[in-house]
Amino acid sequence: MEHIDSLYGYALALTRDATEAEDLVQETYVRAASSANRPETDSNLKGWLFVIMRNAWLNHLRHRNSGPRFVELELVEPSTGEAQGNPHVVYLRKLERQQVREAIESLPDAYREIVVLRDIEGFSYQEIATVLDCPAGTVMSRLGRARGRLRKMLEPRIRRIDLRIG
Amino acid sequence: MSKCDDIRGRLTLYLDDELQGMERAAVEVHLSECESCAAIFERELNFLNIVRESGQLYAAPPELRAKVQQILRPRRSSRMSWMVAAAAGLLVLLLPVVMWRVVKQPNQPENGPACSFALMAAETHLRHVGGQLPLEVESTSPQHISEWFVNKVNFSVKLPNYQESSGQEKLYELEGARLVNFKTDYAAYVAYQMKERPISLVITSASGVEPTGGEVIAAGGLKFHYNAIDGLKVLTWSDRGLTYALVSDLEERGQQSCIVCHQGTKDQSFIEPLKPH
Repeated sequence: MEHIDSLYGYALALTRDATEAEDLVQETYVRAASSANRPETDSNLKGWLFVIMRNAWLNHLRHRNSGPRFVELELVEPSTGEAQGNPHVVYLRKLERQQVREAIESLPDAYREIVVLRDIEGFSYQEIATVLDCPAGTVMSRLGRARGRLRKMLEPRIRRIDLRIG
Repeated sequence: MSKCDDIRGRLTLYLDDELQGMERAAVEVHLSECESCAAIFERELNFLNIVRESGQLYAAPPELRAKVQQILRPRRSSRMSWMVAAAAGLLVLLLPVVMWRVVKQPNQPENGPACSFALMAAETHLRHVGGQLPLEVESTSPQHISEWFVNKVNFSVKLPNYQESSGQEKLYELEGARLVNFKTDYAAYVAYQMKERPISLVITSASGVEPTGGEVIAAGGLKFHYNAIDGLKVLTWSDRGLTYALVSDLEERGQQSCIVCHQGTKDQSFIEPLKPH
């Protein structure tokens, strides 16, 4: 269960639908539990689960006609840690996080997926290539384009927030 | 291609930790010598930090956790669960006695790394302190927290109320608890505060978890492993099918760390042997 939050986040990035994401997480665990090819070390477990999830999702897409649905999703809000800081800075940091999340959410599917895998989940290029079943070179170029798009969306907002904090 | 163009082309790889050895060193040397490349690096690093610090975007809802737990649960025998629960019940009843009746014995140095549970506990502590793992229940009542864990973990959690039952001076305070994932099941996470500094207790019933490495403190028939992980002090021990990890950033080390929480005890005959002479 230690990767369930990561899997749920990735499922949301793939499906953009809370109900479908929950179904996908369950299907992933069902497939994993019945698989005879479980990795021997825990360090490979997360990547293996992500591969299972992506394959399950692609399989699902092949069998359905309707496009993904869009719903309001409940975000995790850190509740401690920053609480003892300057309330104004805490507020602005929260705003910044919210804006980053919205920007990631608004990326096209393939870009959103690769940013989640690299910058949120911390997979290496090779691990991402395994999950996406593509060459590592494709990971690099797609990640570059995705970050370029993200930077364009975020830079003016981040600069505004830094000015207000500074 | 100029040296600067070459290095700037590799900055992303460097920031993504995809360069090793000489390639990595070459980037670092150039950045230390070239102000304009260093400025580009700083800007890129700042951008990536902002993206990465947005953290885990979502948490799996409790209903989903419960469903997945059901998917994974059939592999555990019901008889084993009952035995673990019984052992856990006994342990939590005995825990205060064990912790209070520490008998000074020679510490045994032990080589080798800390176990995966100790590493998980340290990471969990850091994530909680960093705001990524909010508490699911907030209370200063050991009884309330203990009841909250009923039917959420497959062992019994009964947090002892050391301070009131022993007349100990109130040095630390319970904050709350939550579930955390470890291996294929939930572990219990309990948060305390001591002098405004966080202390974490993590409990698991996962099989095959054996505290290892660090300094070994023998006490009350148990072996406590004291590890320093990422600047944190992590004390792990196993008893009757459960494994515990206590994480803090307190300055005291080894068995001195036991004294920190128990220094208010009236039982000075217990605490004296632990003090440095």
